Amino acid sequence: MNIGFIGLGIMGRPMALNLLKGGHRVRVWARRPESMQPLLDAGAGAASGPADVALAADLVISMVADAPDVEQVWLAAGGVASAGKTGLVGIDMSTIRPAAARDIARRLQAAGVDFLDAPVSGGEVGAIAGTLSIMVGGGSDAFATAAPAFACMGKNIVHVGDSGAGQVAKAANQIVTGAGVLTVAEALNFAAKSGVDPAKVREALLGGFAYSKILENHGQRMLERNFKPGFKSWMHQKDMNIVMQSAHELGLCLPVAAATTQMFNAMVGSGLGEEDSIAILKLLERLSSAASE
Amino acid sequence: MDLGFIGLGAMGRPMARHLLRAGHRLCVWARRPATSEPLHADGATVCASAAEVARRSAVVFTVLTADSDVEQVVLAPAGLLEGFSSGSVLIDMGTVSPGLTRRLASRLAQNGVAMLDAPVSGGEQGAIDATLAIMVGGDAQVLERVRPLLACLGKTIVHIGDHGAGQVAKACNQMVMVAAIQAIAEALHLSRAAGVDPRRVRQALSGGSAASRVLDTLGLRMVDRHFTAGIEARLHHKDFRIINDEAHRLGVPLPVSAPVTQQLNALIANGWGQCDTSTLLRVLELSAGEGQ
Repeated sequence: MNIGFIGLGIMGRPMALNLLKGGHRVRVWARRPESMQPLLDAGAGAASGPADVALAADLVISMVADAPDVEQVWLAAGGVASAGKTGLVGIDMSTIRPAAARDIARRLQAAGVDFLDAPVSGGEVGAIAGTLSIMVGGGSDAFATAAPAFACMGKNIVHVGDSGAGQVAKAANQIVTGAGVLTVAEALNFAAKSGVDPAKVREALLGGFAYSKILENHGQRMLERNFKPGFKSWMHQKDMNIVMQSAHELGLCLPVAAATTQMFNAMVGSGLGEEDSIAILKLLERLSSAASE
Repeated sequence: MDLGFIGLGAMGRPMARHLLRAGHRLCVWARRPATSEPLHADGATVCASAAEVARRSAVVFTVLTADSDVEQVVLAPAGLLEGFSSGSVLIDMGTVSPGLTRRLASRLAQNGVAMLDAPVSGGEQGAIDATLAIMVGGDAQVLERVRPLLACLGKTIVHIGDHGAGQVAKACNQMVMVAAIQAIAEALHLSRAAGVDPRRVRQALSGGSAASRVLDTLGLRMVDRHFTAGIEARLHHKDFRIINDEAHRLGVPLPVSAPVTQQLNALIANGWGQCDTSTLLRVLELSAGEGQ
């Protein structure tokens, strides 16, 4: 398939590489030219902008930071839609507000682009390994067209529902993972401050009902005090804000997500934004007595 | 002085009347013409557009609900910006995000128009009694020029700082006020669950360190179960969106405001948005399985 790929950051770069490995012809564009080089070295073509990406493509994928970037890439002057390729399937794999995704899908439909929201979970590791979870919202035909591309990037690929449904699933994912990282950090901090070896506590918990992938992976990195991202906490903060805004729009009571959001706010405000989200442990330590260790 | 006024709701209407009563000529405009009628009867001139209000006024007041309303009234075709001339002043007394205020102020400044953000606290009663607390952001010299006008509307007029500073103060006001409403609702809810008369508890608290204006007014509403607004809870709900967005933008944790927002979300979900914010008590009763 001829695939256009826009946005070659921590996640986008390995995802585009996996499309190349899967035998697709890929043309790329990124705001910073230097981020395109690794893809060009691997055999991708270079495009001069989003509209140019669309020209020879059956499928265009974007992986950028937030809703304004998605709008820019797809709908602004020089955006993908301006290429006028009726029948194009478009996929945004960034994490944005469900309402924004629905709005963009609607406006792209008017331009003849069949749009899917397909945010991912699994982090940089999953992107490199091609084992991402991909949560898809949009029409079935577009989903069928995109399936071979998804298969190169992810393992657990779920067509969740109509436009925006993928982003709703992703927001739900971020509630669980955000609260999960915080509770694992709380538990390990609790153990350590109580004078008990947190490594042993983690090991014990892994065998019971508190088992989770986060306890296993993030918990291990907390014990190693390896705060290198991974998933930067400012991105999780951004995602929690999406959750809070959606709760506000819909009239939802999300007490745990709300409390978790505040901790992420504090992380970003206190200079931990560029560290992995497990640095939430450092924030808890700052708020806890220094006793024991 | 020739004044303009846009936004003649529960707050705006009595405020506009005070300006008329002080002897100023007042031009008004409203999206729905019926809204202007009571003021017309009081002697205000009804204009065909916001631009016309701006053309005929030295100072224009706006008291609107949402960011999008203010943005529209100022920037849309036939909006205030079209009618303003160099030296005009816009005083926005609604509660909007500090970011929007700063954007509008810098846009207006390009045309030589000064803007103050001057949100208020004190509710409808404060507007009627002209006892509002007014929190002002913008140029202090501009404030001094219009201070006599603001003095027709409120008692406490504080210059907080540059553009947006008034809105920041208002956001802080809402955080403190609604957290207090929630705390009082919780206290009265707990008293009743413990088999103690909430009315007596409130009375006792009023004499001690927990005394507050919120306890006096909204606490009384709660024990009287008088949930008719007052301050419509949907407005507080709207303000908490601003608060949470600022917390996100600034990276500031708000461990109390965040769950208060969730209680407000639940209140809205139950269709109580037009009730008084003392209805937060009913949200607690819902969690306790009552009132279903």
